[in-house]
Amino acid sequence: MNTRPQSGKNTPRSPRWSRRDFLIRSSLAGAGMLSLPALLAACGDDNGGSSSDGTGGGGGGNSLVFDNWTAYIDDETVANFIAATGIDMKYLETYNDNNEYFAKVQPVLSKGKKIDADILAPTSWMAARYVSLGWAQKLPLASIPNKANLRSDLIGPNWDPNGEYSLPWQTGTAGIAYNISATGREVRSVADLFAPEFKGRVGMLSEMRDTIGLILMSEGIDPSTLTSFDDAAPAFEKLAKANADGQIRQFTGNDYMDDLDRGDFAVCVAWSGDVIQLAKDNPDVRFVIPEEGGTSWYDSMIWVTGSENSDAVAQWMNYVYDPENAAKIALGSGYMTPVVGVREVLEAMGGEEAEMANDPLLFPDDVTLARLRVFASLGEEEEAKFDEEFSKISGA
Amino acid sequence: MTRTQRLASFTERPELVGLGVLLLLGSGVILLAAEITSGALAYVVGGLMALALVGYATTIVRGTSDDRRSIAPYALLKPGVLWLSIFFLAPLWALFVMSLSSKESRFDFFPDFTWEWANYQEAFTRFRPQFIRSFTYAGIATLLTILIGFPIAYVIAFRGGKYRMLLLGLVVIPFFTSYLIRTLAWTTLMSDNGPVMNTLETLRLVTVFEWLQIVDDGRLLSTPAAVIGGLTYNFLPFMILPIYVSLEKIDTRLVDAAMDLYSSASSAFRKVVLPLAIPGIFAGSLLVFIPASGDFVNAQFLGSPNTTMIGNSIQDQYLKQLNYPVASAMSFVLMVIITIGVLVYTKFMGTEELA
Repeated sequence: MNTRPQSGKNTPRSPRWSRRDFLIRSSLAGAGMLSLPALLAACGDDNGGSSSDGTGGGGGGNSLVFDNWTAYIDDETVANFIAATGIDMKYLETYNDNNEYFAKVQPVLSKGKKIDADILAPTSWMAARYVSLGWAQKLPLASIPNKANLRSDLIGPNWDPNGEYSLPWQTGTAGIAYNISATGREVRSVADLFAPEFKGRVGMLSEMRDTIGLILMSEGIDPSTLTSFDDAAPAFEKLAKANADGQIRQFTGNDYMDDLDRGDFAVCVAWSGDVIQLAKDNPDVRFVIPEEGGTSWYDSMIWVTGSENSDAVAQWMNYVYDPENAAKIALGSGYMTPVVGVREVLEAMGGEEAEMANDPLLFPDDVTLARLRVFASLGEEEEAKFDEEFSKISGA
Repeated sequence: MTRTQRLASFTERPELVGLGVLLLLGSGVILLAAEITSGALAYVVGGLMALALVGYATTIVRGTSDDRRSIAPYALLKPGVLWLSIFFLAPLWALFVMSLSSKESRFDFFPDFTWEWANYQEAFTRFRPQFIRSFTYAGIATLLTILIGFPIAYVIAFRGGKYRMLLLGLVVIPFFTSYLIRTLAWTTLMSDNGPVMNTLETLRLVTVFEWLQIVDDGRLLSTPAAVIGGLTYNFLPFMILPIYVSLEKIDTRLVDAAMDLYSSASSAFRKVVLPLAIPGIFAGSLLVFIPASGDFVNAQFLGSPNTTMIGNSIQDQYLKQLNYPVASAMSFVLMVIITIGVLVYTKFMGTEELA
């Protein structure tokens, strides 16, 4: 192929367009793009593009976008789902922090416009916020028969009493993780987070409910019964004092896993599933539900307003609540599955999977479950107060 | 009156037409982009802007060549003015309005404008430590970039020879990686059991570094020194490049001349090279200090809860507390302090031309 056409004498060296021509044309093009109609449309009525009318009533496109937390699924399920249903599914892992994601989508959703994701899996308290703001649609429950497989205690929380807006994704516990090569000993108690020997090597989660919840338990206060900030004040004081003493190295989101892996965090508040996954690569990393008890939480799938893919949403939810598929997800994510019957599936698989079926962190026994508490759901004012006081301690 | 005369009087002061249209378009864009007007009024503003453009075009088409000549500069100013209006003045105005607003509910995205000066009070009082910390860290980082960057720029400019471009390339290469990745790489390098700490321990230098307050409690990370170090590292090229540009322009014969007049090497440097490099140092320190004082990445990943900077607080107020008014007030205060600082600095450095 001749890659340089007419490189001979015939072609003038200067381009066809003179510089002047080029400037004029490009500025015209630029003016066209910045034209007034576009500006006016952008500044006019705010109601354009919304189509958020409740249940949507079936139909919609054959595509699906699920924006989820990182390391929260196995490698196969999404591909299997696409193969089984032909739905063009995009599974994203850009949900890194409840508050930050909320701040990101708030401008769009509060204008009644559509975000890219159809499904989100915020933690229950944040899911409650979406529901109360009217940013979640009623789920097409009739098309999700596998919903019958779900643990009944995870359906219909007080912010969604009929279970119409949310269904659980995974559930887990927050406890203490430690790197035994850095601690040099086993860790069993919340008190170890405040032990002087770990000064400057303690990590806390920026997720207020988990960090404060654990400390509350160690102070003998049940975080599920909080009604006002004063109830939780002792935990805040304890945390503030430890921070002033230089006990705490950092407040982190999901990124604490690196620090724990390297041993920069000797002990930290952590989520069970993360540590189970990390421990596969680094056997020094361990997780414990502290003697004083741990907090439990669950992430809820919600269907965001503006999305019209109700068929795809229903098919996806139905698919992941099938015990066989739920077993794969549980193995991949390392968290507790909300689906009943997964344990039996794992036992039947034998080998390593059967061992996982006996992992107390994946399938806690009743004694362990009794030691777990869910953080009370806070009113708007109280939540603001809690968040603000927590941020003061974490330095921001 | 003949027709031509009327036309002539219509375009008697074409430069005023140009200026008027320019101002009208600029303010119209601000009104629309900052959403100060909306609904029907927005269409009125848009219509006015369109009319102004039509008038402008008429003036050009029907005017004499003299008219066109005097109106042309305003046409050339237009892209710049519109750009500034859309991307600087309109957001600035929106930020200012937001900083004086108050929210009824925490989840309001459109707070009401209520002349809420208390936002500024809160920004000043509650976040004073973070402000002070930011400017201290950014100031130290700027000094360090000068101390490190000047010799590097000097060597490249005067001793680089044929390797000059290669050396400059090496300065720029880290920029091919994302800022965030470079900062995160530090957490691995400086980790408690990482290569840097291990080397220090092997060389028995830990106590020296502890005495210098760089190492605290056996760790490099999560210390003020780590945050300042990260800032210095990340912004160093912004110092080297302007200094290089001003050094490169220096005629080396000036130094020769100074030596011929019995100047010592050091006084030739002080009296010839350094004054000529001042514009570069000045531009570099602005390029380093301003973004460094608003930075939050280094403090977040390399710092501890006790080393947070104002950027972290603004981010927290915006994203976690959803307190846009106070966050806007903080941003405004930050901007004003930096502007005043830069003005004072300009006065002090006494340089008119920036490199």
